[in-house]
Amino acid sequence: MVTCTGCALLCDDIEVVVENNRIKETRNACRRGAARMKGCVNRLIPSIYQKPSDIDSSIKKAAEILKNAKSPMLFGWSNSTCEAQVKGIGLARKLNAIIDDTSSFCQGILIEKVLQKKFRTCSLEDVRNRADVLIYWGSDAQDSQPRHLSRFSYFPRGETRQRGYEEDRVAIAIDVRESNTAKICKGHFYRIPLKGDREFILALIDALSGKVPSYDTKKILELAGILKKAEFGAIFAGIGLTYSIKEDLVVLLTLVDLLPNFHIMPMVGHYNMRGFNENLFRETGFVNRVKFDGNVNHEDKYSILEVLKEKRTDALLVIGGDPLSSLPGTVVKHLSAIPVICIDPCATLTSKIAVVTIPCAVSGVESDGTAVRMDGETVKLSKVMENNYLSDEKILTRLMRAI
Amino acid sequence: MGMDLGKFLNSPEFEIRITTYRDIFQVEALERDRFGEEYKKLSATIMMSRNDLQKMGFKSGDRVRLTSNSGSVVVEAKENKRDEPGGIAFMVNSPWSNAIVSGETGGKGIPEFKNMTAKISLAKEEVTPLEKLMPGMRQA
Repeated sequence: MVTCTGCALLCDDIEVVVENNRIKETRNACRRGAARMKGCVNRLIPSIYQKPSDIDSSIKKAAEILKNAKSPMLFGWSNSTCEAQVKGIGLARKLNAIIDDTSSFCQGILIEKVLQKKFRTCSLEDVRNRADVLIYWGSDAQDSQPRHLSRFSYFPRGETRQRGYEEDRVAIAIDVRESNTAKICKGHFYRIPLKGDREFILALIDALSGKVPSYDTKKILELAGILKKAEFGAIFAGIGLTYSIKEDLVVLLTLVDLLPNFHIMPMVGHYNMRGFNENLFRETGFVNRVKFDGNVNHEDKYSILEVLKEKRTDALLVIGGDPLSSLPGTVVKHLSAIPVICIDPCATLTSKIAVVTIPCAVSGVESDGTAVRMDGETVKLSKVMENNYLSDEKILTRLMRAI
Repeated sequence: MGMDLGKFLNSPEFEIRITTYRDIFQVEALERDRFGEEYKKLSATIMMSRNDLQKMGFKSGDRVRLTSNSGSVVVEAKENKRDEPGGIAFMVNSPWSNAIVSGETGGKGIPEFKNMTAKISLAKEEVTPLEKLMPGMRQA
């Protein structure tokens, strides 16, 4: 059995058929996981100024760039193993660098609250064994964490939920769009307007406090009734919800205070984003956006977005991420003005403009390590086949030594 | 038959709100080949309700230009698979949606990926190629 790194569910029941040093077939994996494990068609090659080089020269050049930079930044990390992340945090300390990950413009603000123990959360096994009311809120798990409903939440039998979805569980979707997940929650799909989450929460708070909700009264009262009866409830908070209430996350905490049987779980996409948040939190007390200078500084201005916009870095190392693909076009323009170093198994948009590229092994397929599942559980990744690629951790170790 | 240029000259511009979402087929294409045709086809698309398509005079499959304060991009308009009330269109998260999302975050570092506004009109140009969405490389 192999662990899949397709998403942060880290499914550990995958069987693979290897042929000619590639995974030819997978069993049990979802479409997303199978694609990740089978790999990309464009493997990254070592290069300097887009001319082919060798690993040693690329690492040497990368070390030189980072050493000479006044304000280096290390970014990415959500597709890196925990071992690589810890090395990366060490490298950032050594360089007095800024370090940030993709959670900075994703679920970071919610995961921070989990690690600060601001609300109740639970494990995916708790959900499987006990949950009877499941709320997919701004989350289309069917497309983002495709086996969430089948392995853990809605369909499986669990210790106290022997009758599964047919009788024992209710799945609810609250979303702007009738997603594939909402389709499964038929009868319990609450469509909200864009940015309407806060108003919906306030109405629910009213209903749970014995007041008449001003908004969609009948549906809100019906939903409040279901929530009140829950024995073990889970709110799967997607980025749809997080983005929508990012200015006022407290409102969600107020809601769960009224629902003592409920737990919040941030839905994480990239396989080890939560790992980075936990590793950095353990070392600094913050989940992302940190600048080292002997001390630990944490401010919004150290987020990848603000750093690029305000041109606060003069050399960027990107590992396990593709900012050129995932950030606003206006913001990534600055990347063409500074040297970018890209470490990834595959060619990415970022690698195409990078001054130095360093290919690494696909973790969980070509190298081993550990990662943190979306609920905080640490999971081992195994190496499925022999290969000549260095792991992301080994590259960082060599980079550190060269600096 | 010549191209009906009048169709574009008279094509009015509408304002539309756009939110992004994830699509497993597009993610699969991304994992396989983010420079490939399949990824482009599944990314450079805006899904619209039948109501909105009719109201704006577009057909499913028409190319449309989306222009915001941040940028402009040509994608294909398609009808939603499910009945949606309209007023909001959907794009999968990709460099094409990122071409029009604002980088303004009030200093908070989180763009409004899921809450965009753009002008939409028929386009005669081809779908914007990926290369056009990328900045150049710093030279040695």
